[in-house]
Parts: sequence; structure tokens; C-alpha cells
Amino acid sequence: MSEELDRIRREMHAVLQPPGVRPDDSLQITRRTFIHRSLLFGAASVGQTFAWWPLLNTIDVAHAAEAPFKFAWISDTHLYERSLNTRFVDKVVRAVQEVQAMDPPADFLIFGGDLAQLGKIEELELGVELLKDLKIKKYYIPGEHDWYLDMGKKWGELFGQPNWTFDHKGVRFIGLDTVSRGPDYWTAKKMTPEERMGHMATLDGTVAGAWAGVGREQLDWMQKTLADWDKSKPIVIFSHNPLYEYYPPWNFWVRDWREVNDVLKPYTKVTNIHGHVHQVLYNEIGSMRSIGMLATSWPWPYAPEGVPKLTKPMIRADPGDHYDGVGWETVNVNADDKVDVEYIMWGRKEVFVQSPEDHDKSIGEVIRPRIADNQYPWENP
Amino acid sequence: MINTPTFLCILRRSTVAGAVVAAAVVLGPASANKDPVTPKQLKLYQEAFMEEVRKGDLLFHGDAAMAEQLGVKLSTTGWACAMCHPMASDTHPQAFPKFQASMAKFATLRDMINWCIEKPNQGEKIDPESEAMKALEAYITWSNTGSVLVPGKY
Ligand SMILES: [Fe+2]
Ligand SMILES: [Fe+2]
Repeated sequence: MSEELDRIRREMHAVLQPPGVRPDDSLQITRRTFIHRSLLFGAASVGQTFAWWPLLNTIDVAHAAEAPFKFAWISDTHLYERSLNTRFVDKVVRAVQEVQAMDPPADFLIFGGDLAQLGKIEELELGVELLKDLKIKKYYIPGEHDWYLDMGKKWGELFGQPNWTFDHKGVRFIGLDTVSRGPDYWTAKKMTPEERMGHMATLDGTVAGAWAGVGREQLDWMQKTLADWDKSKPIVIFSHNPLYEYYPPWNFWVRDWREVNDVLKPYTKVTNIHGHVHQVLYNEIGSMRSIGMLATSWPWPYAPEGVPKLTKPMIRADPGDHYDGVGWETVNVNADDKVDVEYIMWGRKEVFVQSPEDHDKSIGEVIRPRIADNQYPWENP
Repeated sequence: MINTPTFLCILRRSTVAGAVVAAAVVLGPASANKDPVTPKQLKLYQEAFMEEVRKGDLLFHGDAAMAEQLGVKLSTTGWACAMCHPMASDTHPQAFPKFQASMAKFATLRDMINWCIEKPNQGEKIDPESEAMKALEAYITWSNTGSVLVPGKY
């Protein structure tokens, strides 16, 4: 596996990063960290203080906005039915309350996919119910967990078209659907919808394959959408999956990143904000910057290989605290050409690693793909 | 799949071989009589191991049928081991035993597995000697094949 990944990675580097190509200089990244006192969660005991201190961490990304504004991002809530798991519900409630409390308020919310865990009607409707308490305008893109039980039927009824565009104060925003074009792994094996969903819902599954992609017709749509947009004006693209190749075995990529790059190449101020990875992630791909967001549900570990060199990793989460390693984000678009992404990670004084030991990859590992999902139950009827 | 009768037969034969070895120790090396291992035996040993890896893989990924078969309840939250540890990454079997901060004690991988079952998963702790535990251990160590042993590392 590693050799194949290495080959793809070298190719990606050659295609996307020819000498001299990188995001516009005004898009320099800086970071600052501060405790957001307004979000302090009540009085806490000594033991709880560490666990409950929310933290905002900022990545400054420059854009030429007409007027300052901010928006919020929540994703990867992975809701089960309320009767099974209330922790994930509690965390959505908390994120919604905190977004609602933003002052000045966010102009809108982007929901970045994986609202549900198993794509069930009850799960999706629970998500709608919880997010209803948030009164600002909301935009939704789908995640794979929302889609593969009924192939997007319920999601479409609730949220409409999965890809969309709008302009806001001098920035063109685009939402992409990177999940609905998976290869048909279910028909030949006569899977039930639940089995199909089960394979899709397993990050390290080997059956659903390279399901993440943008697709030719959506690429054409994006190209048309951008045709009238000035090449040096800011564009923010939302997608569930990262638009480059980070770790394909977990679909931390889109398989057609080459074509995505072809469409975006002429534009100099492109920022992609994505979910799915449940972790702090930063990369520059050709002239595009890419920022990975936290889940509210649980953090994924960094992949065993391919973590972008530009990423300052987030701190290793405490598995005993389900509010650790997760949270939501605000994005501030300032008049002085900055877009700040603030990671609001519950339960942390520091979002980023402070020493090598804070990194979940401080213990080197060589890992193998799983085996049992290819054998069971189809070979043991 | 393993042919059970043949496998038991092999085990019985090794017991016999063990007795022979014990006798050899008394009599000295000149009388040692060990059967050289055959490719067929190796294959059976490997299959026995991979069968446990397969079971462990299913348990680790929240397979309800396998949990029932082995009589364990590893989670009540919908959470499965693999949701924090895809491909058993970040399980670090190569670092155990070690002082485990989350338990505030010197711990084995089995202690850690039970901690995860009890705390994040809110399931029922399993017998450290049970087949389920050995299967989980088999899957986790197999997945990390090639990782360098770093016992004690944080
Ligand atoms: Fe997710
Ligand atoms: Fe996802």
C-alpha cells in the first residue's frame, strides 16, 4: 500500500506544485491562540477546569472582503438515534448554543456533512431538530454517513440540492457534493441498504473503495459557476472530503483531485474548507489552501502516513473525555484582507501539539488494512 | 477454514512431542527427538492465528453477530473500537506494557482494551483470558505488524 501511496503522492506533488506555485502571498498563514472567556463553561472543580476550558485557535487566512463578517462551521455530528447515544446529541446542543451566542452574530452556518451516523431518517431529522435552535441562515453539504442508506433521498428532501453557490460581501462561496458518486459495491453482492450503509460508515472499510469524488458534471458546473468571477477575487469552497490526496484508504481525498486542480488553477485566492477528517489539518495545494475542521462527535487519529508537512497537528485527545479533541469553528472574514479560522476545541488549553509527545504519531506505527469485511458474510453464507 | 479434527490431532501430537522433549532433557541432548516442523503444520498454525485476527477484526469493528458468538458486550453507545482506531492505528500495542496515564497505573494492552470498553464504549469489561480478548489482541497486534517495539513509550 505504501509504495502505491508514495507514487500517487509524488505525482500529486509534480502536478500541483510545480516550482513557484503556491497560494497568493497575501494568504500567508499565521496562528494565534487565546482563551475565549465568554465561552467558559460555568464554575468547575480543579479536575474539570482543564476538561472544560474551551479554546479558540486561529489560523489567519487573507481574503479581500468588501466588509468584515464571520460565519460558523459545524460538521461530523454523526448522530445516532437519541435513545442510543446522548453524548453526540449533547455536543451538537453545545455547539449550537455557542454559535447562537456569537457576538457579533455569524452571518451564516455551514454544516459540512455527516449529520447522521447510519443515514437513518430519525438521525437526519434529529439533526434538523437540534440545528433548528440556531436562527441564522444554514447551508448544508452531505457526508457519506448521510447518504448511503437511501442514496440521499431523505437528505435531499430535507436540504435540497447538495451543491450550491452564493456570493457574500465580495466572496464567492461554493458547496460541493463529494460523497454521492461512490462506485457500485452493493448490487453484485446483493447488499441490503443497511449493509451498504454499514460498509460506507466504516472509515477503514475496504469494500466501498474510493468513493470520494467530485465528478465530471459537477466539475463542469463549478467551472461555469466561476467563469464570470475575477481570477484574483476570493473563493471559498466547502466540501466534505479534502480536495487533495492525503490518505486514500480512509477517503481523506477526492479521487479526481487532478481535475479539481485543472478547474481551480486560474484562480489565485481559493480556500477549501472541509470536514470528514475530524482533525486539525492545513495544506497548500497549488494555488489553493485547504483547512480541515474538527468534528463535534469524535476525533480521528492522523493517518499513519501522508500528514501534510504544513499541518501543525492538533493535540492528542484524552479518550476519557468525550468533549476533548472535538468542537466547531468560526471563520472571520476581515476588511483588512484576513480570514481567521478559529478552532473551538472543547476541553483544551492548547489545540496544537506543544511537544513531540503531544502528537498521536509520536509512537511510530506501521499498520495494515482490515481483512474481515471482505470475507464476511459473503463467503460464509 | 480450519479443519478442526486435523487441528486437534496436531495439538495432540505436539503434546506427545512435549513429553518427548521433557524426557530428552533428562537423558541429554544426544537423545533429543523433535519432529521437524512441516509446511502443513505451519499453515495450520497460521490459519489458527488468522482466524482469531478475523474474529478480532469483527469485534473491533462492532460486529454484533461476532460479539454475540463470543458472549461479549463491548459497547452500549454505538461506538466501536475502530471509530477511534481505524485499522487499529493509535492502539500502539508495541508500546505496552507501560505506565498508562489514563488509568494511572502500569498497564498491559489487555488492561487498555478493557479500559476502552468500559469508559468510552460504556460496555462490559471482558475476561482477560477470554477468546474475545485474545482475538482483539490478535487483530491489534497483526494490524501493527512491522511497528517497532517501544515498550513504555508515552
Ligand atoms: Fe465524519
Ligand atoms: Fe465523512
